[in-house]
Amino acid sequence: MTAAEEFEALWPGGVNAVPAVPPAPRPADLNGRRVGFLWDYVFRGDEIFPVLERALAEAYDDVEFVGYDAFGSTFAGDEHETLAALPHRLKELEVDAVVSGVGG
Amino acid sequence: MRASAIVEKAGIPTASLVCDGFVGQAAGIAPGLGIAGLPVARIVGHVDGQDLDELQQNLTAVTADAVIACLTTPVEADSAASGLTSDTVVARGSFNEVNAVFYERRWSDGLPVVPPTAGRVAAFLAHTDDDPDRVIGALKPSGAAATVRNVAINGVMANCLPEHMPVLIAVAEALADPGYGVEHSGDTTGGDALIILSGPVVDRLQFNCAEASLRDGYRANTSVGRFLRLFLRNVARCLPGATDKSTFGQTWRVVLAENGTAAQALGWPSFSADAGFEPDANVVTVGRFTGSSVIGSIYGNDPDTIARYLADGLVRQSGWELVFTVGFSRGLYRPLLVLSPMVAKTLARSGTTKERLRGLLFEHARLPARKLEAHIGAWSNMVPGNRTLNQLVEAGRAAPHYGESDDPERLVPIVEKPEDILLVLSGDPLRANACAFASNGMHGFPTAKRVRLPAKWQ
Repeated sequence: MTAAEEFEALWPGGVNAVPAVPPAPRPADLNGRRVGFLWDYVFRGDEIFPVLERALAEAYDDVEFVGYDAFGSTFAGDEHETLAALPHRLKELEVDAVVSGVGG
Repeated sequence: MRASAIVEKAGIPTASLVCDGFVGQAAGIAPGLGIAGLPVARIVGHVDGQDLDELQQNLTAVTADAVIACLTTPVEADSAASGLTSDTVVARGSFNEVNAVFYERRWSDGLPVVPPTAGRVAAFLAHTDDDPDRVIGALKPSGAAATVRNVAINGVMANCLPEHMPVLIAVAEALADPGYGVEHSGDTTGGDALIILSGPVVDRLQFNCAEASLRDGYRANTSVGRFLRLFLRNVARCLPGATDKSTFGQTWRVVLAENGTAAQALGWPSFSADAGFEPDANVVTVGRFTGSSVIGSIYGNDPDTIARYLADGLVRQSGWELVFTVGFSRGLYRPLLVLSPMVAKTLARSGTTKERLRGLLFEHARLPARKLEAHIGAWSNMVPGNRTLNQLVEAGRAAPHYGESDDPERLVPIVEKPEDILLVLSGDPLRANACAFASNGMHGFPTAKRVRLPAKWQ
């Protein structure tokens, strides 16, 4: 390489290989819906979800909840097993919306 | 976010709870999860430092409304396609001009990169029988394809030699293996990947396995180590301040090359054999390790005394990472002990095999149960609820031997079984030192791949 040399450099990245699907449609409100909580069992979800459940119940008269215990941990050793079972489990429990956490 | 993506794909709306500092990361990982947008409900600050009143106040004032918005407001789908390919020329000009573009576009680690021109890339591709367009795998968080061709491009940039290409491909294959867990490369505790190279290729490609074996200064070790970080940056798009949320992190590590000749002379199995390959197989192993410290000046020749000293080094290096032995997972902690050949020679002279050494280390690398419980519970809250080891055994989250009594002072091992301790011979053959690394468990689980040399290997 010399100072005067000219280069044509190629892009070092990779083309996306994961087809993207659009996010799910949203309901106008949560009345008549069942909200499921998913927890990765870190960062105080056991203290966070009860607060959010109270807030959602105050905002909507007719909302139901399914606790995180119904699904198992979404992180670490249980992650693959829990996530593989998730679509079926959500359907089985008739869950309409999910609050998932906690990232940090 | 991985759970949210699966739920959205099932047609169910989600709100993902994310602490303030991680909102950018959340946006960056959606493409790799195959979802065109994941709405986030932010949590003010970080939960770890807040008392319960403060946390509840923040959740009520900010997060609850955000959750409702996530679940009831239509989400605009992102379109992230750049139109770039591995044939696209993205910078033209002098060495400095090309480097300026690469740094500005965040394709460089801050050191000068070798401009990846078509000619240089072709020279790398000539050193493999692989199809240049073979997709090795999709790397998270970006979801981008790792291909033989973009391996070559990043290898050029890292100042590798064309002859390194088979090693580089094996590194990419390890990263792409689902068992490795590349999606965790940007986790906050910031363990860094270490490439361990074993087999005759160490000598053939002039990797250093003697003095200063973990230090820069040898082109093969340095450039291949740099390649891995560039590849994570450019293909996986693990970027500091965005998808890379390492609190501290470290500079990329140079390749740790095994002194296979020394192992063979002692009759100890090679690291390749330990990984399940033939003793003389060329093997790349990639794993993430959170930190290391030297066990210095190992004195004497009594195997038990030496093992106790080495075990003490392993214990001192192991803290919160023990959550990979019990709690997060069972038996996925893989601490690494690098022994200088002189230490191994002293042990072998007394008839100590590698297997026997592992047994001694397992016996001696122990800590009081109360301390292990504190590491994973009270001190880190990684396992919520301050659960005891006995409770974790009952819940199936610890092996039975962790619950053999209620005595908090009883000694428990740092690993589930002796084979979990990785042993590599490397470093100055004329000095008795060792180096202990803590492992990042299944978040960068040591993953071995064969180095496939081309048929016309010179």
